[in-house]
Amino acid sequence: MASDPTSLPSPSDLSIPNPSPTEEERLATLNLEEPTGNHAPIPRPLSNGSSLSADFDTGNEIEVAEEELLGDSTDLAEGSSSHGGGGWREISEQDGEVASCSPSSSGYAGERGSSGASSGIEEVDDGVALQDDWVPGKRHLDEDDASVSWRKRKKHFFILSHSGKPIYSRYGDEHKLAGFSATLQAIISFVENGGDRVKFVRAGKHQVVFLVKGPIYLVCISCTEEPYEALKGQLELIYGQMLLILTKSVNRCFEKNPKFDMSPLLGGTDVVFSSLIRAFSWNPATFLHAYTCLPLAYSTRQAAGAILQDVADSGVLFAILMCKHKVVSLVGAQKASLHPDDMLLLANFILSSESFRTSESFSPICLPKYNPMAFLYAYVHYLDEDTHLTLLTTSSDAFYHLKECRLRIEAVLVKSNVLAEVQRSMLDGGLHVEDLPVDSSRRSRSISPQMTQENNISGSRPPHMALGGPAGLWHFIYRSIYLDQYVSSEFSSPINNSAQQKRLYRAYQKLFASMHDQGTGPHKTQYRRDRDYVLLCWITQDFELYAAFDPLADKVSAIKTCNRVCQWVRDLENEIFLLGASPFSW
Amino acid sequence: MASIGNNSLNAKLVLLGDMGAGKSSLVLRFVKGQFLEFQESTIGAAFFSQTLAVNDATVKFEIWDTAGQERYHSLAPMYYRGAAAAIIVYDISSTESFERAKKWVQELQKQGNPNMVTALAGNKADLEDKRKVSTEEAQTYAQENGLFFMETSAKTATNVNEIFYEIARSMLFLGVLVSFTSTPATGLWCNGQSIWKCNRISHKSSKEELRTE
Repeated sequence: MASDPTSLPSPSDLSIPNPSPTEEERLATLNLEEPTGNHAPIPRPLSNGSSLSADFDTGNEIEVAEEELLGDSTDLAEGSSSHGGGGWREISEQDGEVASCSPSSSGYAGERGSSGASSGIEEVDDGVALQDDWVPGKRHLDEDDASVSWRKRKKHFFILSHSGKPIYSRYGDEHKLAGFSATLQAIISFVENGGDRVKFVRAGKHQVVFLVKGPIYLVCISCTEEPYEALKGQLELIYGQMLLILTKSVNRCFEKNPKFDMSPLLGGTDVVFSSLIRAFSWNPATFLHAYTCLPLAYSTRQAAGAILQDVADSGVLFAILMCKHKVVSLVGAQKASLHPDDMLLLANFILSSESFRTSESFSPICLPKYNPMAFLYAYVHYLDEDTHLTLLTTSSDAFYHLKECRLRIEAVLVKSNVLAEVQRSMLDGGLHVEDLPVDSSRRSRSISPQMTQENNISGSRPPHMALGGPAGLWHFIYRSIYLDQYVSSEFSSPINNSAQQKRLYRAYQKLFASMHDQGTGPHKTQYRRDRDYVLLCWITQDFELYAAFDPLADKVSAIKTCNRVCQWVRDLENEIFLLGASPFSW
Repeated sequence: MASIGNNSLNAKLVLLGDMGAGKSSLVLRFVKGQFLEFQESTIGAAFFSQTLAVNDATVKFEIWDTAGQERYHSLAPMYYRGAAAAIIVYDISSTESFERAKKWVQELQKQGNPNMVTALAGNKADLEDKRKVSTEEAQTYAQENGLFFMETSAKTATNVNEIFYEIARSMLFLGVLVSFTSTPATGLWCNGQSIWKCNRISHKSSKEELRTE
């Protein structure tokens, strides 16, 4: 355990980049200006009235950090040690030893557990596309804290009870980790007995992050150099996922019996947790606290929303139509609001459980941000390979009603061609940085047909042709604050394998954490250059923009490009966001 | 609940049993003719429907395949309430699952519909070399508790359709009996035990008709 740092890989030669911009070398300044409009170097028809300016003549200084050689060496090492960089396979985070076959609860041995295949996955469209290749459930059940391989894992997650009983471990068999769990519990209670709280411990290059939730303790041990806030956020989501399965009323079991063994209650959910942990390195929703929509023509999304609204009026609490992890439309009953984190956890639960694909399902689930104490009942049905409908209700005997609702919804969606449009959008993909309009003044307000056309072109474009967007733009994420939604560009050529994508997400996470740092933040803009990227972040009242450029990109044109991206996103907002009729509370 | 009309019967059927016993595998073999070596855990309950033709009648099963995990146990009544039939599944290679099955039998006898047609399925019959529960032991238990018993294998499809056919036949028979007599439901259940035995014998001797003598 971390209390014995000598047994862990030594801190060695890894340099540790400090995520806090305040302590970073400030090599340049960049100015943010309000739209006074009299000296604008670029056209600024921005609807929200602000623009990131590339000229250097006005006040507000912002953080700029250039990390020349302080690259994310940990992530780099991770990428190179993996088998062909298959970040979606958990195996790529490890040293590649073959997992033993573990007997499952079925008499047929669970050979699913062997994930030692060494072929990497080169191409990734989106996280769930590779479910066939990614081996679900828990592997390395043979390991425990005495195994060298177990100690070498880069990122451990544990759930344990306040009496030190193991509940969940990402690697290894929980039952064999009883001693280890007890040690974690001892650390937490030792500090608590002193009237204090342990947040994290650094041991060499390892960070041990603690989160206490009543009788449930969550711990992450990681050497991935992710910021504390990011790891804590991940523990919060793991706790939320547990609540989604069991509700907070599980605490009562501990009131009755402090030594209560909770692990059987989570039986069969390893796959849900491992899929969530995997999402921490590919799904921006895990740190942005926002959801993303499938790009669709405004009228198509309206048609889907109308029929969902129809059933919501008939006693359905939430009706959610999604394609993989992207929202097609969603509707809530009056005054009911759905938190983006709950949507993330619900979608993860549904997408990771193969069982939902076989037929119609009816299952109790809890939305922790909606009501952590109570179960809702979820009717889940896949309308096609990727598109799934979830109807949530408070009534445990509503199955036949919800089944009726689904039949109605399905009929309308087929008739109005929504399902076909959804499939087409899936194939076309989202925004491609290569398609960023060159001159933002020539854009038109209604771009639905063009957008489809553009996407068709980019969809058929050979991958080697795509070399990023203008000014070395590689990727961006735009988060609309009041919609609780984000849009992320498709990955283009420089970031074309999952190891690189994971590295970029980790960089974004770090950027996000430093922008929202409670001590020094919140910040408005940040320009940061390291050996992998130029990263630019811009936060206003309305949106947050995260953009990654070629590390050699020119700063002035990068800033101009960011302005164009923002304009582009606003021009497309009818297609890429779910507008109006939002169930979210403002 | 079963309802009869025009020689067709709609019947709610629920599968209960320990996790990993093979409930989903049995249903998928019956409904879709599929078998997955690594069937994932069911979440909550999955709903299927399948229609069977039995002689000149049809039985439309609305099947609730419940999750075996402990956390879903308290929800079981939601699924077996009003069910006309139940299949309690255990794994012949696990005594634990057989013990769990007995608990389900008790629960149904206490809480379930007294007219419910209940079958006990010893699944994974292909795993003869790993067998922990003998056929005789299960057979005896089934007889004592008025259950219809079969050993099945979702993997090899052995007795899978048969167990659903048997249930359909019995329900049709019970349905006929109910419509011909005004016996109180509990009385019928007592009769049911003997009917079961006769029914099984008659099934072996003749697939065409049911006899009670």
